[in-house]
Amino acid sequence: MTAFLTLMRRELWEHRSLVWAPLVTALLLVLATFFGSRVGGLDFELGDQEAGFFSDLAATPVAQVQLFAVWMGSLLIPQLIVGLLVVFFYLLDTLYGERRDRSILFWKSLPISDASTVLSKFAVAALLMPVWVWGISLVSGVLIFLIVKFMVAGTALAPLGVWHGSAWLLVQATLLQNLLIAALWYAPIAAWLLVISVFAKRSPFFWAVLPPLLVAILEEVAFGSERILVFIGHRLSGYFQALQPGLMRSRDDETTLQTVAEAYQALSAAPLLASPSLWLGVLSAALLLALAIRLRRWRDDA
Amino acid sequence: MTEDTTHLPIIEARGLSKRYGRGTLALDDVTFTIGSGRIVGLMGANGAGKTTALKAILGLTPFEGHLQVLGQNPSRERDALMRDVCFIADVAVLPKWMRVSQALDFVSGIHPRFSRTRAEEVLASTDIQLHQRVSQLSKGMITQLHLALIMAIDAKLLVLDEPTLGLDLLYRRGFYERLLNDYFDHQRTILVTTHQVEEVEHLLDHIILLRKGRVVLDCAVSDIEARYVQVLASPERADAARAMQPLHEREVFGRKLFIFETKDAGSYAGLGEVRTPSISDLFVALLGEHS
Repeated sequence: MTAFLTLMRRELWEHRSLVWAPLVTALLLVLATFFGSRVGGLDFELGDQEAGFFSDLAATPVAQVQLFAVWMGSLLIPQLIVGLLVVFFYLLDTLYGERRDRSILFWKSLPISDASTVLSKFAVAALLMPVWVWGISLVSGVLIFLIVKFMVAGTALAPLGVWHGSAWLLVQATLLQNLLIAALWYAPIAAWLLVISVFAKRSPFFWAVLPPLLVAILEEVAFGSERILVFIGHRLSGYFQALQPGLMRSRDDETTLQTVAEAYQALSAAPLLASPSLWLGVLSAALLLALAIRLRRWRDDA
Repeated sequence: MTEDTTHLPIIEARGLSKRYGRGTLALDDVTFTIGSGRIVGLMGANGAGKTTALKAILGLTPFEGHLQVLGQNPSRERDALMRDVCFIADVAVLPKWMRVSQALDFVSGIHPRFSRTRAEEVLASTDIQLHQRVSQLSKGMITQLHLALIMAIDAKLLVLDEPTLGLDLLYRRGFYERLLNDYFDHQRTILVTTHQVEEVEHLLDHIILLRKGRVVLDCAVSDIEARYVQVLASPERADAARAMQPLHEREVFGRKLFIFETKDAGSYAGLGEVRTPSISDLFVALLGEHS
């Protein structure tokens, strides 16, 4: 266990952007909120029309809590996008880079199995990073809330400055749960990137992206069908499609969402856990990881 | 009760072969045994198969034939084997981004037989600072760092592949002196490959010479005296010497130098000045272009 944690630590030493990129994004967000409203002299005095729209939006206590939850929850999005980007390039580079700089011979001179090496990299991408992005967003979200609370005091937007403790906890729990479910859903893509990283002699990016595209185009040309494209598309967007019914429900059908808990149930990705598609993906990820481990075991070109 | 393993061979290779693709054989039916507590030189010209042999021994490449390292099959039992085997590939393999302190943290987190105190002791005698990154160190210092890590691991077999390649003379000297004085204790076995023979010949117990993937010499250094003889003959004796089938002939200051595989030591005395060849002499004789 110590050895596995050491391996994960090593990944963060080498790929510092995993740690810093989401953190800097969150900091920028906090600073932008602060200076944007201060220096930019943002005017919180709304026109009649906007004020009316806003007071409709925050009309009932439940709606107020929902509004709070939505804007607190959405503060995760910038860090998430940045986190996804750095994780994508991390996975592509990690097993390729160690061959390029020949450090693989150092790693392989130590008693570390190829399985632990590959799995530690996967764990960094699929477990550590979601939790890290979530944790940063949690803290920066509170800071941003405090700034906003100060800014909107005495304006028509004052309801935005009201803290809803239990809703906040529910938001954070739902976000963490959804991030981990997303990690399961996207695990086969992460594992695919690791396979390419260990396999490619050069340009892992093109190896990761072009062959699936070419195969899809060939299918289109040869059979006039788009099954592969649909398959890839489903894996890329399926997570959000699964969330959509809940999102739609929470937006349109306010009458059925009487409580905040109900609203959050609607936003939860948990129903995805019952989908065979998710578990087939997890199985494919396991097979791809096994392939990456095997390829690294006998890769002989350092 | 522990089994007495001191007399078991550390490495045993029988009929070891390796072919890359459909191309030439990098190793061609190689057989040798390396005993415990030795310093063994695996030598040969570039491309003779040294590195391939090491890769097979370290379980980095598949091979044909029988190969056991510390009683284990390096193909199948690599992970367990690497607890007892250390390996320095060449100067460039420590990752550039790593800090010295991180290297210590990493190896102590990974290796059950690593003593951090020992590594810090060794590092204290160098100019290396704990906060430095590998990219800030000179080639020679990187090798010192790697050696410090290795010396702090209680391993049974140390494999060195051209460890001093590209280093200047002072670092090369220091490297081997340190290895001999502070590490080697006759319980351990060191296998070193190099084509810079002069540098290691005074410290080897045993040499294995490879030529085009085949073993051309496998001999304890103490047996060289009995097996090989070098004769410095005057030119008029040259034909007589050639008649005795020398392994090698070369001209030195107007005289002819011959190396023979000894059949009868007494019979060479008439040819000229008789000596025991050095490892370098044998290297040139057995691997030189005329042999």
